[in-house]
Amino acid sequence: MPNRSDIEALILESVRTLAEDFEIEALLKPTAESALYGNDGALDSMALVNLIADIEDAVSEHFDASIALADEKAMSAKNSPYRNVRSLTDATLERIEA
Amino acid sequence: MKSIVITGTRKGIGKALAEHYLNAGWQVAGCSRGDSSIDHQAYTHFSLDVSDEEAVIKMARTLKKQFGKVDALLNNAGIASMNHALLTPASTVNRILQTNVVGTFLFCREMAKLMRGTQAGRIVNFTTVAHPLNLEGEAIYAASKAAVESLTRILARELAELTITVNAVGPTPIETDLIRGVPSDKMDALLARQAIQRMGDVNDVINAVDFFLRDESDFITGQVLYLGGVC
Repeated sequence: MPNRSDIEALILESVRTLAEDFEIEALLKPTAESALYGNDGALDSMALVNLIADIEDAVSEHFDASIALADEKAMSAKNSPYRNVRSLTDATLERIEA
Repeated sequence: MKSIVITGTRKGIGKALAEHYLNAGWQVAGCSRGDSSIDHQAYTHFSLDVSDEEAVIKMARTLKKQFGKVDALLNNAGIASMNHALLTPASTVNRILQTNVVGTFLFCREMAKLMRGTQAGRIVNFTTVAHPLNLEGEAIYAASKAAVESLTRILARELAELTITVNAVGPTPIETDLIRGVPSDKMDALLARQAIQRMGDVNDVINAVDFFLRDESDFITGQVLYLGGVC
């Protein structure tokens, strides 16, 4: 079972790769506090969809876990799991542990 | 080799579609609640309920490892129940909505992720002429397919940026288990409302699906194509 830092590292790598593909300068050197989507987030909805699918793929490949990061709070500015790297790490860990 | 996912492949239209694309050289992944009824080296079967989110996600993960990508999805799996609305229990309503709407949605969601990078993903959903004809006795079935049509139109917009087209085919009655038990006078009355008054054939459906899957159909999305001249 991966720990929190394993998941965070995987997400940071996914964000970095996406930022290069989509040429998003603000996310080329992401940290746990990097805003992703919503207020101050650098991702538009298409980039977000691609990031989520990339992370699901990476989790399957590295940790042999089948998860979906679909979430009913996706569009919530306050509670969206996609608002920054830290919240996305929490959401991913929660699903792997479920 | 192109790969296609077809739901509801154990019998009827789904099985015929799977055999058609296997013969055309596609790699086919099918599913049904029961075991496979297709024996072919390019066919992979998943026994699952299309409305079981976890099972659909696992199927997608397996396909990612096995195929790498998916080029097309045919959301064929569906159930019907002919009954007067006042005699229809909520359990039937839930069962039909789960398979026809939730199942279609889950497969669109998960397979669209696997179409990223194909540059030409294709999704074909299945509706029915029972919806535009407002057939008595088909309230829940027709309503579930109305939802599928709405899903088709909206996903066509949401997935366009991923270069995935989303369309739907609406067959007329075809000799399958789905219409077994429908009284012949009801069937005759239904056929009388079609411009071309005959039962459909599985080849009619294959022809329409082939059209949507063609490379040249990349400018066609969000469309619902009814067979038999129903509009």
